[in-house]
Amino acid sequence: MTLAGDTTTPEEMDQRVDPAVLHAGDVPGDVARNARRGGMLLYLGIFIIALSMLLAAFGPELAPYDPTAASSDISMAPPALADMPHLLFDSITGRLHAPFHWMGTDQSGLDVFSRIITAPRTDMTIALSAAVLSCIIGTLLGLLAGYERNVATESLMRVSDVLQAFPVFITAMMLVALAGRSSFNIVIALVLVYTPIFVRLTRAEVMGQVPRTYVEAARAAGNRPIAIACRHVLPNSLVPSIVQSSATVGFAIILTAGLSFVGAGVRPPTPEWGLMISQGAPQLILGQWWCSVFPGLAMSIVVFGYAVVGHSFEARFR
Amino acid sequence: MIFRFILRRLAVFVLQLSGITAAVFVVIRLLPADPVAQLVGLNASRDAYEASKHALGLDRPMWAQFVSFVGLDKAHDGLLEGNLGTSWVTSQPVRREIFESLPVTLEIVTYALLLAFLVALPLGLASARKPGGLADRGTLLWGLFAGAQPDYWWGLLFVFVFFFLLNIAPPPMGRFDPLMTAPPAITGFITIDCLLAGDLGAFWIALQYIALPVLTLAFVVSGAIIKMVRTNTLRALQSDYMLYARASGLPERMVARYALRAALTPAVTLVGIFYGVLLSSAVTVEVVFSLNGIGQYAIRSVLAFDYPAIQGTVLVVAIVSLLVYLLLDIVHAYLDPRIRT
Repeated sequence: MTLAGDTTTPEEMDQRVDPAVLHAGDVPGDVARNARRGGMLLYLGIFIIALSMLLAAFGPELAPYDPTAASSDISMAPPALADMPHLLFDSITGRLHAPFHWMGTDQSGLDVFSRIITAPRTDMTIALSAAVLSCIIGTLLGLLAGYERNVATESLMRVSDVLQAFPVFITAMMLVALAGRSSFNIVIALVLVYTPIFVRLTRAEVMGQVPRTYVEAARAAGNRPIAIACRHVLPNSLVPSIVQSSATVGFAIILTAGLSFVGAGVRPPTPEWGLMISQGAPQLILGQWWCSVFPGLAMSIVVFGYAVVGHSFEARFR
Repeated sequence: MIFRFILRRLAVFVLQLSGITAAVFVVIRLLPADPVAQLVGLNASRDAYEASKHALGLDRPMWAQFVSFVGLDKAHDGLLEGNLGTSWVTSQPVRREIFESLPVTLEIVTYALLLAFLVALPLGLASARKPGGLADRGTLLWGLFAGAQPDYWWGLLFVFVFFFLLNIAPPPMGRFDPLMTAPPAITGFITIDCLLAGDLGAFWIALQYIALPVLTLAFVVSGAIIKMVRTNTLRALQSDYMLYARASGLPERMVARYALRAALTPAVTLVGIFYGVLLSSAVTVEVVFSLNGIGQYAIRSVLAFDYPAIQGTVLVVAIVSLLVYLLLDIVHAYLDPRIRT
């Protein structure tokens, strides 16, 4: 598809894109780029997300070693990357008796690779449930607050204002540490922290939809308010929430891992990316980098996947 | 006109503050933690437990505790007198401990934000000039990538590369050479204190020590800033008043200046949002570099169930970000008369 993309000046842009078809907040640059690139980035993002979910579902079954069975005889083995070719050959021809530690082992002799692919069971479950829950709760509350504006919903907004003014990380840490360091409590803390964003986004979108003609038409046709809100306004107000929920999964992964990084998250020896990074940190300064670098890399890639998908949604539907 | 705006903003600020104060106080006490057991240990006798509970004031009803926390009774100083209480662990006034650790965090967060803007502004502007161009695609990818990254992991990576491999950065052990005497704390910002003491050598050392934490924070926040600058500039370039400026036959240089101003005014409020985000990120980054700022103080007090310290930290951090919002809102209203409604 040939668009004069690379040489387009803003003036030409104005001529090419009919302002009437744009809503406020639309940026033609995204439209043009998306059309030309055919969403390659989007496919990469979807692939990463699919992989992370597969690992969350089957990671523990795929791991070559038990991620929590410590053995002192192979502590801090460096990654077997240098011996890769012949190790690979040996393992294919069956000459190798045990799977090799191609990402090395940590201080307790645990296989880093096995722990990395087991970790999504914890990290992804927490992050996904937190994102989905806060999206559902926040969207419904936002719909209510935007559609039915009265004292109750106004005070709901004030409560959400106060919640948003809390420092995110410190608040989450406080909630989890005081309520007990379990996965369930982490999910609850994350939902509390992230829901106000969804409330605000959806409410703004709903308030933009309510004055439109189709809502008036639905009202004129004699629909009950709850039917108009749920069947007509809600589907038209979902885009910001969907975009936000994709980004939220990424943030939730970082926060979950961050909590265990500072010692206020899930307990060791649970395979979890943040715990792995924190346990490897003292060795990293001495040059034994693999215990921290690999889990962080995995997390970095997964978070990037969610950011990309969120962005593509935004560029396509907004 | 602008005074009414400022007054209304101040009223909102006070309301938010009261909301946070009440919320954090109640939430901490509703959670099923037992700070007394944490303090006296699990083997303490029943009497010791009760005595300690009484000493901490936890045997009183929650409303009575709240009244003395805020300082509504005349018996002792509370929040209204600027007293945040005494730490249960160190027996030090929470206010003093917070004032010692807060500047550490504010310093790296401020420098990181400045650095990030210095890099992100030109990049965002360049990418908005030619939407879909090479610069645009590059910065978009960068923005998406750096937009959400585990900051603590990047901090560790930087330590590995710059300290262990290249050996050009000092070890991640605080913000000043532990073997040297730091300059007297006047502002609490170590770099500024060094300059005030007139010690350029110490200034250079302090700069080296805080370089990596600042770089880490600047890196993770730069992505979001680029994205915002780009969106704002594109929106400004397509606005009707730009069309009008062009139609009036203004030279392109003038048009660009108008566009820049229109694009950067909304960015002022974004600084506030990023300041809050960075204050939060700083918690984990401080751990990596053992900076002993407000973030590490928060971790220590949360893990020790030190209620007065937790309350104080949450309140002070919230006040800092709310104050930054407030100031920037006023600046924004000053720059853009349309929002003073």
